[in-house]
Amino acid sequence: MASVTLEHVKKIYDNNVVAVHDFNLEIKDKEFVVFVGPSGCGKSTTLRMIAGLEDISEGVLRIGDRVVNDVEPKDRDIAMVFQNYALYPHITVYENMAFSLRLRRMDNEEVHKRVVQAADILGITEYLGRKPKQLSGGQRQRVAIGRAIVRNPAVFLMDEPLSNLDAKLRNQMRAEIILLRKRVDTTFVYVTHDQTEAMTLGDRIVVMKDGYIQQVGTPQQVFDTPTNLFVAGFIGSPQMNFLKARLEKGANGYQVNVLGVQLPLNAEQNAALTERGVLSQDITLGVRPEHTSVLFEKTAGAIECEINVNEMMGSELHLHLSSQNGDRIIVRLPTVDLSAEQRSRLAYGNKMYITFPAKVMHLFDPKTEKNLIFG
Amino acid sequence: MSKKQIPEVDIVVDEKAGVIREVKQATRSKSGHERRVNTSIYIILVIMSIIWLAPFVFLVFQSFRSYKLESGGMVDYLLPKNGWSLDNYRFLFEGSNFFPWWGTTLLIAALCAAVLTLATVMIKRLGSENRHMKTLLTVLALVVGYGLFIALMVRLLGLAVSAEIAGKLVLSALLLLIAGYIVARFYLKQDSRLLRSIPGYEKEKTSDVVKKVIALFAEFAVIFAILACILKPMTASQYLNWYGNTLTVALFTAVIQTVIVLSVSYALSRLRFRGRKLIMNVVLVLGMFPGFLTMITLYFLLKQLGLTQSGAIPGMILIYCASSGMGYYISKGFFDTIPKSLDESARIDGATRFQVFLKIIMPLAKPIVIYTILMAFMAPWGDYVFASYIAFGSEPNFNVAVGLYRWVNVNDYQGYFTRFCAGGVLVALPITALFLALQKYYVEGVTGGAVKG
Amino acid sequence: MTDLEYLKLSKPAKLIFRIHQFFKNLPGMAWNGLKGLGLAIARLFGGLGKSVADLVTTFKDGDWKTRLSYLIMGFGSAARGQWGRGLLFFLFQTVFNVYMFMPNAAFSGCYYLGKLSTLGTVETYKEGRRTVYGDNSFFILLYGVLTIFFILAFIYTWRLNVKQNRISEQILKSGHRLKSTRDDVKSLADEQFHKTLLALPTLGVLIFTALPILFMILVAFTNFDSTHQPPGKLFTWVGWDNFHTLLSTDTASYGNTFSQVLLWTLIWAFFATFLNYFLGMLVAIMINKKGIKLKKMWRTILVMTIAIPQFVSLLYVSKMFAADGLINGALMRWGWISSPLPFWTDPHWARVTIIVINVWIGIPYLMLIATGILMNIPADLYESARIDGANAFQMYQKITLPYMLFVTGPYLLTSFTGNINNFNVIFLLSGGKPLSLELSGNAGYTDLLITWLYKMTVNDTNYKLAAVMGILVFVVTAVINLIVYNMIPSVKNEEDFQ
Repeated sequence: MASVTLEHVKKIYDNNVVAVHDFNLEIKDKEFVVFVGPSGCGKSTTLRMIAGLEDISEGVLRIGDRVVNDVEPKDRDIAMVFQNYALYPHITVYENMAFSLRLRRMDNEEVHKRVVQAADILGITEYLGRKPKQLSGGQRQRVAIGRAIVRNPAVFLMDEPLSNLDAKLRNQMRAEIILLRKRVDTTFVYVTHDQTEAMTLGDRIVVMKDGYIQQVGTPQQVFDTPTNLFVAGFIGSPQMNFLKARLEKGANGYQVNVLGVQLPLNAEQNAALTERGVLSQDITLGVRPEHTSVLFEKTAGAIECEINVNEMMGSELHLHLSSQNGDRIIVRLPTVDLSAEQRSRLAYGNKMYITFPAKVMHLFDPKTEKNLIFG
Repeated sequence: MSKKQIPEVDIVVDEKAGVIREVKQATRSKSGHERRVNTSIYIILVIMSIIWLAPFVFLVFQSFRSYKLESGGMVDYLLPKNGWSLDNYRFLFEGSNFFPWWGTTLLIAALCAAVLTLATVMIKRLGSENRHMKTLLTVLALVVGYGLFIALMVRLLGLAVSAEIAGKLVLSALLLLIAGYIVARFYLKQDSRLLRSIPGYEKEKTSDVVKKVIALFAEFAVIFAILACILKPMTASQYLNWYGNTLTVALFTAVIQTVIVLSVSYALSRLRFRGRKLIMNVVLVLGMFPGFLTMITLYFLLKQLGLTQSGAIPGMILIYCASSGMGYYISKGFFDTIPKSLDESARIDGATRFQVFLKIIMPLAKPIVIYTILMAFMAPWGDYVFASYIAFGSEPNFNVAVGLYRWVNVNDYQGYFTRFCAGGVLVALPITALFLALQKYYVEGVTGGAVKG
Repeated sequence: MTDLEYLKLSKPAKLIFRIHQFFKNLPGMAWNGLKGLGLAIARLFGGLGKSVADLVTTFKDGDWKTRLSYLIMGFGSAARGQWGRGLLFFLFQTVFNVYMFMPNAAFSGCYYLGKLSTLGTVETYKEGRRTVYGDNSFFILLYGVLTIFFILAFIYTWRLNVKQNRISEQILKSGHRLKSTRDDVKSLADEQFHKTLLALPTLGVLIFTALPILFMILVAFTNFDSTHQPPGKLFTWVGWDNFHTLLSTDTASYGNTFSQVLLWTLIWAFFATFLNYFLGMLVAIMINKKGIKLKKMWRTILVMTIAIPQFVSLLYVSKMFAADGLINGALMRWGWISSPLPFWTDPHWARVTIIVINVWIGIPYLMLIATGILMNIPADLYESARIDGANAFQMYQKITLPYMLFVTGPYLLTSFTGNINNFNVIFLLSGGKPLSLELSGNAGYTDLLITWLYKMTVNDTNYKLAAVMGILVFVVTAVINLIVYNMIPSVKNEEDFQ
């Protein structure tokens, strides 16, 4: 059990490409941290630096109190699960799991005890005598995890462990990882490009892009108060809607002008903006699809849109709309509340009207892409 | 508009099927046309087979024409007129005690192999969980087996004990120990009681055990035969001498060259270090110079070391192995295809790079290891140029290629031609058998090499 | 020209455009190459300058242990507790010193180095019946080169030794522990594993390939031949004379012969590569065709020519085609011909015979490779082609052939250069014969550069010309490689199957 601390960690490759810029993070003991971001954002590189598979170009990496910059991976007391499982194809599942213990010259009885115990946790006891080739994807994934937990590592690293599985299996394994985490109580660092995984698994999420940390926070924080356009767009599905708008500072507080509609902000927002000294300016207005309501009749304060596509998802509808000036907007509608008559009106080309309360509005500066309130 | 008719879609998905298989079947009337095409292919293949095999068949026929009664030279007919004779083969062994030697050695080898196999199997069945005890017993068995072998060789074949023989004895003891270690490592690895207790554990089938025992026996027998060749307690004929030389060179080259090639290709494929690119570029440039350019220099270098003429055998081994690191391309290509995450995973699991090499990569690289051994073993049999230059003028140190080449081209070939044929047959037989047995690995090597360049 | 315009061109137009493009880019490429070379040289000197500056600062800032290491290698390491490293450095220095300044001055590194400019001046002469040996030019050159290698290695090691001190000082200053000898040995199986793996192979290549090649390159600039053979005679530097002898077209020179042999070498390499390639592919397609039975047997029969050592099969076949061999004998007996066919005595017959027999040797190899690749062509390519209405030949032309060429492109290149140096086939079949008075230097009509080189070395002991020839073979190979490698990327537009 140990904390992991990264101070000004930087990765520069031989061809002078900077993969990770000035990475600062303290991962507490027994915390589950998820690095999330699009491919090429440096999340895997950071994880591999923690593992010791990549050299650290600058900065300091600590596991516990020890500086481990120049410590070989085998001496870092870590375990890692790879995206493609990396099981040794020529030996049985049992030996795969025992491999690291045998290298440490552990007693046979103890090895056996640990392997059987880990296999029991993961429900792969009946496959111990098989070779990895004879297993399905999900079983291989379990073996890979088992190989890591037999060692009781101080830090548990996972590099996109679920992305080679099909959608159904992925959901199932995700739940199992949550369970597993309760049983093996240790520090987890988990890398994924899938925001759902990040939200469901992490105690804290680190959102990355182009080698920079965009935001660090609990799933709720990242969802509610994204610090910039990128985080706002990346977290949440379907993606947050972005509309061109203008922020006006009036006598009785700020208001947002969007598509010819004036929307006053609430007291908290007003206070924050005043404190920051924000003036009237063009902004990008962000509203999540699930925070938007749809009206069938023209109402004051509602924005007029036209229906493009109506995606039926079962319990809900994803309505793709376009505004008068071409902004694309997605709205989530629970299907239970809709009458048959209403449904029939959700057809291509029909006019709809959308509204949202002030507190769900996110205001971004279009130039710096920062959140005007939380950024 | 073209009048071409679009064929109806009747795709048969057959994984194993070759590629050109269903080329025709859609549009044309299948049976008639297809049959005509296939027949003509069969005719071509039969003709080709005849052309391909004819020279070898002729070679065998001519090796049975007596050089004493008929003619040892080239004649314009194929089948012997005075009846089939073994004179040529007899000539190859003339003046040697090869057959009694070989018979006795074979007996001794079989006996010792049987004793050792029995010992090994018994040790394995001991079921002891103590690995050290097992290793100790194995070494003991090896010592006993080896002692028995030496004693019998001395007793039955009158091996004169000299300093040279003593040196060879030590060398062969080392060989046996290495082999013994490998045997102990793989055959004695009995699954532990714990392992047997896990679910899904499959008990070894009896047929597998029998196979293993047979393999074990064969392994020991081969080792003893090799030891006998190294000890060489026989009077050899000229040809046997050449044959023995070539075999010795081939065996050593196979082992050393394989180790070198695998080391280099592993290092260049899996490890990242300063100067890696430089090494690869230098090797590329050096490889563009013709090999024979260096011949004179090598000759004088070897001469300085006393490794020419009478020392030609170690000299040849040195030459074949010294620069073999430059031929790393094919095995590097193979290593490149093994996922890197296996190495990384093993390193996180606590393995040093050496352990990764030994425990992860080597077992996975079995095909390419066999390919490398096969190539390294076969090359010395065909080498004329370096062998003739290094052993220049010292007939007992020729290899088969040099000796036989001289029979046909330098000596009066009119007299030695049939003997060349006989000698060639005896060289070609074991090599061809070995090659055909390991053909699969050869194919894997060449196709992999060609695709990756 | 935009991509779209390029795509609109017809096939020959595309080819012409590509060739045109290649030559248009040629000066640019040459310029880039030169620039790269210049930059590399500049970097080298820059590096040297930095090294010297580094040496000075290390000396200025260093403590007494460091300073003493400038004289006694490894002292600093040993004094700081790294015994293993120190001992190795010291050992190397001792060996170097002993070799360079051996008391018996006649055989020290300095002796050879001193004589290198003249390659020896003291002739061997006879005093009555006793031979008094003078200088041996061969050893002077060989050991001179070796000494230069050794000195370079020494400078590098010495520099390493100094650098080591600086690094150690810095580590100690920052409060860390130095690696012990035990750690060093351990790291040879881990962080430094490449050193363990590569040490011996590299040494082998250096001594048994690099050193001899460098030596022979130098021999090309001397008059080392049968009339200047050590230890009896001296040889010396002659500049570019040998290149002149081999390349100029004076009557006394080898220029005409050289161009003839070079031409034949290229013709041979072309046929040996491409004839085998297409025939081998054809055979592979036939054997793999659906409905053909006994695939494995056909393959095994063909593979026999690979399995049987070439000196057996080729020598035998060569005798089969001899004037008094089986084939001529049979044909004459059947009355088809009255005098033997001149398989090995007429230049044209000999050349064709060799190419044909090489097909016998080469097809199986290509057949194996082609089989492997044909199996890998995705079946859906053929399915989609069939739906588009292609017939068998069109599929071969549009799919199989481009795919094969694309996948085996690099192989074709290595195979071509390999055939330029294909010694065995020529040597065992014809030995370069037939000879002719029109060709000088004992060359025959079927001699390749490489077999001619062999003859010069072994039969004529004309080492100087053999060396020049070796260099020229290198130049030919390198030029072909360069051109093809530069052409390959330009082909990628169309044949990308990945």
